[in-house]
Amino acid sequence: MRTWPLKFRELSQDELLFVDDAGGYFRADGAFLERYALGALAPEDRAFLERHGHSFEAQDDLQFTGFVARWAQRLSVPGRLDYVILVPTLRCNLTCDYCQVSRVAETARGFDWSDATLQAVLDWLGVLETDAIKVEFQGGEPTLRLDLMRAVRDYCRARFDHSEFVVCTNLQNLSEEAWDFFASPDTHISTSFDGTVDLHRQQRTKSDGTTSEFLRNIQRALALFGPERVSALPTIDAADPPAPEDVIAAFAGLGLRSIYLRRVNYQGFARKRYGLADSADAWTAYYRRFVKALIAYNATAEEPFEEYYMAHLLRRILRGRHNGHVDLRNPNWVGRDYLVIDYDGTFYPSDEARMVTRIGQVDLSIGSLGTGLDREKLTQLESEATHLFDPDCQHCSYQAFCGPDVIDDLSRYGRIDLPRPLTAHCQTHLGLFDLAFELLYSADPSVQRTLGLWLRVPELSPRLAPRLS
Amino acid sequence: MIPLRLATDPLPIDEPLVVRLRNTKGADARSAVGRDATLISFADGVAEYDADGFSVSLRTPDPADIDGDVILFLPGQKSAHRVIRHRSRHNTLLVTEQCDQLCVMCSQPPKKHHHDLFPAFTEALELAPEGATIGITGGEPLLHKHALFEMLRQTRQSRPDLQFHVLTNAQHFGSEDLDALAQLGPTSTLWGIPLYAAEAALHDRIVGKVGAFAQLTKNFALLARAGARIELRTVLLRSNAEKLAELADFISLHLPFIERWAIMQLENIGYGRMNWATEFFDNSVSFRPVADAMNIAAARGLAVQLYNFPLCTIPTPYRGFAVRAISDWKNKYLPICEGCQETQNCGGFFAWHPEKNTFQNIGLR
Repeated sequence: MRTWPLKFRELSQDELLFVDDAGGYFRADGAFLERYALGALAPEDRAFLERHGHSFEAQDDLQFTGFVARWAQRLSVPGRLDYVILVPTLRCNLTCDYCQVSRVAETARGFDWSDATLQAVLDWLGVLETDAIKVEFQGGEPTLRLDLMRAVRDYCRARFDHSEFVVCTNLQNLSEEAWDFFASPDTHISTSFDGTVDLHRQQRTKSDGTTSEFLRNIQRALALFGPERVSALPTIDAADPPAPEDVIAAFAGLGLRSIYLRRVNYQGFARKRYGLADSADAWTAYYRRFVKALIAYNATAEEPFEEYYMAHLLRRILRGRHNGHVDLRNPNWVGRDYLVIDYDGTFYPSDEARMVTRIGQVDLSIGSLGTGLDREKLTQLESEATHLFDPDCQHCSYQAFCGPDVIDDLSRYGRIDLPRPLTAHCQTHLGLFDLAFELLYSADPSVQRTLGLWLRVPELSPRLAPRLS
Repeated sequence: MIPLRLATDPLPIDEPLVVRLRNTKGADARSAVGRDATLISFADGVAEYDADGFSVSLRTPDPADIDGDVILFLPGQKSAHRVIRHRSRHNTLLVTEQCDQLCVMCSQPPKKHHHDLFPAFTEALELAPEGATIGITGGEPLLHKHALFEMLRQTRQSRPDLQFHVLTNAQHFGSEDLDALAQLGPTSTLWGIPLYAAEAALHDRIVGKVGAFAQLTKNFALLARAGARIELRTVLLRSNAEKLAELADFISLHLPFIERWAIMQLENIGYGRMNWATEFFDNSVSFRPVADAMNIAAARGLAVQLYNFPLCTIPTPYRGFAVRAISDWKNKYLPICEGCQETQNCGGFFAWHPEKNTFQNIGLR
């Protein structure tokens, strides 16, 4: 019998988590580590490792083949470009404290697509190889240019077999035409709601009148379209966060069922205002509190709640081929299956890359409608697309579930080659994966209930928490 | 039940004859094959067709029911086979009745002799409706693997729009078949392969063949390397119910490349009927073993499905996993089903479902 290499992470005094390169994992004690390290496995160790897919007898036998298949399923394979973020205008009618996207005033000129840009976008969409497209309208505030969104949507519906649209809007100042636009079943609303009404007013809407307008609109949107077509994300300052219970109550009160905890991303205007004093520890500590509160809420709630990112991490731990979330995958290809087109026709690999470029830190544009994709730039950005050969990641228990984020590294440090443990991305994810595994191994029925809901299984099986003892 | 055979007058033929029935003359994409038999007359339940100069007659209540069907006439036989029914999504070719296993639940117990109809089936496939999925079953189809691969290869050339679903025990693949598998392409063929337990001794006992498990695991690895699409099939039995969770672990770790895992209820026919008293596991009384297995497989991202389970025998949280997969000519509903609002989502019961010794708890409550 040959055992696949195991990486381990100390959990407590005499408890370790072992993980192989295909993402198979188990807990065991320090005595096992010693037997493993010294090549002195006991017969029970061998039987356990064999039963749990950590070993094989001969190359190409079923155990070997199953392992390599699971390993391969962990890799994200770049598909056809079928997801595009469009920025028809950079103008916005709000001035949020930490604006994510570097907006300009509502009355500014020269920050909208020109007729020629619109035509170039449609021509560009026209030659995509995909049959299905997802278009996300970002801004600025895209509802200021309903005409441009309508032109894109009409074109896509005619051009593709399946098309889906997301409007990222602040839900302020909506005309009846805007509501008509939202009413189509292929169109979704994504908005920001900062967790509590007070916080939302303080950070975004500033005045009572604007705040109640937002609340009226999100209530109307949810009443008309339901939580399937309306989502809201909070932006949270880890240094001064709202009480998780308040956030959950406010979201649930609106009829929302899912929340994606997002910390203030110190870019754009946010960076100028808050400085760089964000700590991964403070964030994971808050996250932990939040997930705990959510689990308590779900224990009795009729309509359970999901925290999107933790649910996503849990699925990535248990499953291969779970690469739908572009911010966490390996390799993290750039400019292949999704792309951002800015108000001026410039291409970016992600919305974050657009912001980093806009503040003049580093130019992460990867071409434009006029010149096409900039292959040289893509090659540069993809030189660190995978963590498979990273000397730190290779020794990390969570490597199989994680993925690099070159854009985040560039935005924070201006370089992509820092030792991983020094990056916020690594520190945060170590904390989040620690939490995910604690939840998987928890014997608390309320934790198990929430995990079952998040994993879409009626019950959480104890076999998902193997322990060698 | 939908008739799979139609009475006919024996034809003066010494080779099998394949035709496609047409109620009205007219050319479509399949007519060029030159096998269309056009309706001439219909009276007293007998439809008469012109098949390129000579006439064939079939007994049917309504020729519209069989319009477009592909019919196989065999020399000297008084019934013709509806090989491919135009309106059905469940067309299956039974290519041999020989088998090297004797499974305790076999619905179609093997026979000793083989009647080779591969050439006729190849002709029939050429006439199948556009985009159809054709089931291929036995016996064990791979006992005649050269003829089988040849039929599939030819059909891939003449009808690239067709898909195949081949039920096989996967005992007879070898590395010599890698070329043939590659020729079929990555998506045209789904191999439906049974696996009953993660332990060799138990699986071997259930399929009645020593060494079957060892051969099967070897060939799963081979099929994975070939990139073959696999549907894993496990019939729920008293023999394996308590071992299903272990099997779910085994599948998710060692067979992560499968397309789906179907857990199936027992059919009360063939050896399934003979062994009913010892092997029928009443999931309406205890769903626990099935639930445990599904919770493991689904959490690890496997597409797990329940086949042949009446919806009312499944606890509510697991009903979403049930697939209405019973072939259209096999399902029936019981008196208790009358008025049930779920019948259109429910496969119901097998036509040959027994009156006694069956599910204790049926009917949605």
